Amino acid sequence: MQSRNKKWMIILFSLPTMILFMMLYLVPMLIVFITSFFEWKSGGVFHPVGLKNYFLGFTADPRMIQSIFNTVIWTILQGIFHVFIGTVLALILAKRFRGWKIFRTIFMIPNVISSAALAVIFLNVFNAKYGLVNSFLSSILGKPITKNWFFDPNSAFLTVTSMWLLYSGMIVIIVLAGLFSIPEDIYEAAKIDGASDFVMDISIRLPLIRPVLGTAVIIAATSMLREFELIFLTTNGGPGDLTLNLPLYLYKTSLKESNYGYANMMGVVLIITGVLCVFFINKIFKMNETDM
Amino acid sequence: MPNYQRILLLRTIKIILLAVFTLISIAPLAWILLSSFKTNREIMLSAFSLPSSFDFKGYRVALEVSPILRFYGNSLIIATASTILNLLFVSMTAYVFARFEFKGRALMALMISSSLLIPSSALLMPIYRIMVSIHLFDTIIGLILVHTALGLPTSFFVIRSYFQSIPKELEEAAYIDGCGYMKTFFVIVLPLAKSGLSTVAVLQFLMSWNEFMFALVLTKSEKVRTLPLALNYFTTQFSFNYTALFAALTMVILPSIIIYIILQEQVTQSMVTGAIKG
Repeated sequence: MQSRNKKWMIILFSLPTMILFMMLYLVPMLIVFITSFFEWKSGGVFHPVGLKNYFLGFTADPRMIQSIFNTVIWTILQGIFHVFIGTVLALILAKRFRGWKIFRTIFMIPNVISSAALAVIFLNVFNAKYGLVNSFLSSILGKPITKNWFFDPNSAFLTVTSMWLLYSGMIVIIVLAGLFSIPEDIYEAAKIDGASDFVMDISIRLPLIRPVLGTAVIIAATSMLREFELIFLTTNGGPGDLTLNLPLYLYKTSLKESNYGYANMMGVVLIITGVLCVFFINKIFKMNETDM
Repeated sequence: MPNYQRILLLRTIKIILLAVFTLISIAPLAWILLSSFKTNREIMLSAFSLPSSFDFKGYRVALEVSPILRFYGNSLIIATASTILNLLFVSMTAYVFARFEFKGRALMALMISSSLLIPSSALLMPIYRIMVSIHLFDTIIGLILVHTALGLPTSFFVIRSYFQSIPKELEEAAYIDGCGYMKTFFVIVLPLAKSGLSTVAVLQFLMSWNEFMFALVLTKSEKVRTLPLALNYFTTQFSFNYTALFAALTMVILPSIIIYIILQEQVTQSMVTGAIKG
């Protein structure tokens, strides 16, 4: 009786999660993988084409190549510079001088408001006519500046990048948590040897939090494989396709052009890129698999 | 370079860095807030001038021409419901995964953990088709289910590790006293995992509150749309009324900032736990 009860309980307790998981992860994933080998369009077009979608995407579609290029550049930039900025700020705050928590809060604020709001804020901050950036530059340079940051091909990419690259509050709190978990007595010997704070940061603190840094790099890099609304609400991939990335191109291909098989090929590319990213970052930071 | 000079230089660099990053974090938001009280003319004239008078006309206009309050309500309902469902489903499953041996457990845990690696944008198209085919497209319930599911993997690992850290003895005593599985779980186990549950609740609520892509794709009517989407409307609705646009922006971001500042210890701790365990 007891063990029959137990069996029922296991089934009952797992069922809701498993149904939801199958419906919104497992089945979609199977659909993505399988139909990436199909030509599937609205109006009942559905037949297998082998590797044609992949072949087309990687050799004959300049938009696809541009969006892969942008996605990779942004992933690398975010994994390196964004984490670097966050780590430097965390090392400064980790000395817990008076008022350090205020800075932690301030750095987090752009990360807690919805990124849709952040996008619209930036659209205004970089507005050509009344934006904060042009007004600031005009008053410094003493002549009116009317650069259209988001839509000028020379500045579009960097302007879009600025919406996420510098706002590393999330990295700051992760690295800080790592730094605070180092026991104080580790520093004693170094202090007696007269090591400066700077030397201790580089040679003691950073190596000790290597797994935490690895986690931070994974979070920052893979976030770029999901980035959608900050681009969608500002440049929408333009001018031309200069700021197009894979999620946005996938959205356009599937929901605007109803070219489902081709869109799901991009889904597969995104999934594989994500797995490779995590794999290599794990290797580079020699992270213990079980810590993940 | 003598030692004291080097220390001075390092300290100056630190102060400059803190100042620069404080400025770029706050200045855009402060400018939006300030401009929401200015007239259109004042906004066009100068970015730095203070408003001539603090009136709330922009806010009145924003509330009149847009269904921002309705979007607020939708966001609140969807984020709350998806948080409750996520907590309920995940805690039940994580409990049996943490406590019992059964066939398929390892495989299922592996599947859930590998789904952590999947960028949710990759599943956009099939999820859209599935929601359309089961008639949950453009419904509150559909969006609640999708948000609940998006948070499953992270929640699962955070909560399971909490259950694993709770000693078994209490439950065993309860079973011996004749307590059923259900009662033991809801009365004894869940309260013990309170801090784990609140961590997950914070993460799940924030995720759902801010989520944009699925909310955009899976809805089309005002009755269902959420706050992040409101901004999509505003950029076109208010293309010539900057005051109202800035007022709307302020109304969207201010609650998040205030709630974050009040709950910041809890939120910070949740994010760190979510990042490291997830």
